Amino acid sequence: MANPILEAVRVSKSFGITRAVKDVSLSFGEGEIRGLIGENGSGKSTFVSMLCGIHSIDSGKFILNGEEMKVRNQVEANRRGVSIIVQEMGTLSGLTVTENIFLGNEDGFVRFGIKNTAAMNREASRLLEKYGFGHINATSMTDHYNFEDRKLIEIVKATYFGPRIVVIDETTTALSQSGREALFKHMKRLREEGNTVIFISHDLLEVIERTDSITVLRDGVLIDTVKSSEVGEDDLKRLMVGRELGSHYYRTDYDRPVPDDVVLSVKNLSVPGEIEDVSFELRKGEILGFGGLSNCGIHELGKAVFAASYGRTGKVTLGDGTEINSIRAAIKNGLAYASKDRDNESLVYGASIRDNICLPSIGDLAVKGILWNKKLNRFADKNARMMSVKMTGINQPVSALSGGNKQKVALARWLGKDSDIIVLDGPTRGIDVKVKADIYALMSELKSRGKSIIMISEEIQELLGMSDRILVMKNGRINGEITRSRNLCEEDLIAKMI
Amino acid sequence: MRVQDDNENAGGTSGISGIKSWLEHPAFQAFQASLPFIGLIVIVAVFAHLTNMRIVRPASINLMLRQVYVLMIASTGVFLIMTVGGLDLSQGSILGLSSIAVSYFSFYGIPVAVAAGMAAGGLIGAFNGFFHVKFKIPSFIVTICAMFLFRGLCAYLTTNAPVAAVMRITDLNVTWFKVTLTVSLLLTVFLIFRFTKLGIVLKAIGAGEKAARFSGIRTDLVKFLVFTAAGLITGFAAFLNVINVGSITATAGNQLETQILIALVLGGFPISGGAKARFSSIVVGTLIFCVLNNGLVMLRFNTAWQQMIRGLVFIAVVALTIDRKSLQVIK
Repeated sequence: MANPILEAVRVSKSFGITRAVKDVSLSFGEGEIRGLIGENGSGKSTFVSMLCGIHSIDSGKFILNGEEMKVRNQVEANRRGVSIIVQEMGTLSGLTVTENIFLGNEDGFVRFGIKNTAAMNREASRLLEKYGFGHINATSMTDHYNFEDRKLIEIVKATYFGPRIVVIDETTTALSQSGREALFKHMKRLREEGNTVIFISHDLLEVIERTDSITVLRDGVLIDTVKSSEVGEDDLKRLMVGRELGSHYYRTDYDRPVPDDVVLSVKNLSVPGEIEDVSFELRKGEILGFGGLSNCGIHELGKAVFAASYGRTGKVTLGDGTEINSIRAAIKNGLAYASKDRDNESLVYGASIRDNICLPSIGDLAVKGILWNKKLNRFADKNARMMSVKMTGINQPVSALSGGNKQKVALARWLGKDSDIIVLDGPTRGIDVKVKADIYALMSELKSRGKSIIMISEEIQELLGMSDRILVMKNGRINGEITRSRNLCEEDLIAKMI
Repeated sequence: MRVQDDNENAGGTSGISGIKSWLEHPAFQAFQASLPFIGLIVIVAVFAHLTNMRIVRPASINLMLRQVYVLMIASTGVFLIMTVGGLDLSQGSILGLSSIAVSYFSFYGIPVAVAAGMAAGGLIGAFNGFFHVKFKIPSFIVTICAMFLFRGLCAYLTTNAPVAAVMRITDLNVTWFKVTLTVSLLLTVFLIFRFTKLGIVLKAIGAGEKAARFSGIRTDLVKFLVFTAAGLITGFAAFLNVINVGSITATAGNQLETQILIALVLGGFPISGGAKARFSSIVVGTLIFCVLNNGLVMLRFNTAWQQMIRGLVFIAVVALTIDRKSLQVIK
């Protein structure tokens, strides 16, 4: 490793009783791209948040260039040459692209107390051009741009001032292939200029390919730092999880036919501006995948099937002819829906694990209209345990759980309801390998019990690995159908998506 | 089926949401839950000391209780509204107008009077609920409008003279009768809240409305009904109000809405509402509020001072108890 520019010395952080980071000591070299990996809740984000002044440090210190860093917020961190591209949305709505890029650093454009907006805009345009994001207009509101472009704006914002350390926290999941390439190009440029990049991602192949070395955290503890050129995906998984993971991550059966009983048929389903004239049938025990680019309508389709869309036309009927016209009717007739938007739609964010699990089944749990706490507790506890939710108890609020555990709760509520048709949108989005494996195992198990699953996903591997049949959507319409086969590869799917 | 187990590290924290997670520690939560009770004991003790025990004499307790009934009943309705994450600032006007209705109709018999009061309250509540749900206006704005609108109507109806109720209605102004009515109403609402799905449904709407809708709850309908119910309940409180005062002036029920808010907040109800709603807040909160009020009177603070002190107490308690994480959900 090159000369260390940044050192972490026995850094710790607790949230209440949870110790998120425990005594982590690390050093980072000049001109190095360092991957930082670990499961959900392993402390990656907390570690870099402390580095960047987003969280305070409980004990330990960061030493930058031989001097202790004492920063209280991101602006101070920027001044010391440390910047971060955060996991969540890091640009502000209602401001222009220029204003976002220079937020907190407008001073350079102020003369005699007056801000020179024109100069700011010129400089922003120049930067965008230089980064190769010329399609973004500096004077437009950031609201005009989609999530990906807003991430690109953040890349400019976080790196234009020549920081020595750049943290990129789980950004690539939001980016398309071209966006990723742009990001990787800038990571390389930063390294060539002698700076250090800390790169956090769940995509292990990407991490191996794009970094010089990789640090693994597990449960807040430093496990190891390895050279990227010397490890494979399985080595990393083993380090992350602490034991061997089965190589059979996805389903392994290929030639088992699905029975012909249709449990759900969708006819001419349309939602204005989102999906158009979609028709398909779902069979008993089938995992039906829906794939496509992120704006192709697959996500709205899940909502529309569950009757949660506004302005829906067309027909959704069950095998016995029952029409699904409202969310209540959907739930009553055994339909379940776990949204991609976990915090707002899948889970009642402010409520406890118990209430979340009980809500869809609340009518069934009442005895002559009366709800007994004991019964609710038992019901919630049973289903939470079935999913192995990591929790202090069923009364813990779901807002305190990590992403993977939230998804487990979201699934536990529908397991409890014993629904027959389950619509899963982005079932493993932002979830680490271990929980992913759990969720795939659960899907196979449900399939073998005769439940039907509609799996909506932007991850091609997952679609190929789990689905009996894949419908590919493009511009709101179904653009092709692919049947499960050993010989499928990503290109078959991509060809129908674009 | 059982997914692989790994329970060594309960409750992972992620990112910024974890900052305040010490607030979720069970011991801290138990302490926080008992704070209002401790507060009630402390405030009684302090005022007992300051007033040389005068505040705990039967005569003053009686006086205090006379003010408790209406506040406690009306708070029950607002409790439901705040549980779904809303606010109701029109309670004073509802009480005023319902009291006028009770007085008018008291000449046709007591049951008719009660029904009229509840109908008037229910209608205003439905008005609030309708505009809140149909036009998606935040409830505090809708109810501020309703406050002005119906306060104006109150003033109009009492332009020439106060509206007097039938004379014999004040015969009902006996403690056991009022206690019975108050207790039965609170008990009824409590049992419904605690033992039917209503409680869990209301809390879910307050804690995450979109997800509640995705769980099969008819959120718009429930919210409309909650506002209507709050109106009905305060309409019922108006009956007790008329029993107490006999005739209604333009200012009847003035400031009831703020009294309710202060009482509920003192009782430990987070002003942002939602999943942390506890029924005991109503009882404990109104008691604290009345002790505070009467204590200040006994210590001979004039009304100006009383109001300032109440304002200070309100902001202090809100600042201490507010749930910053869920602030954006006030509807």
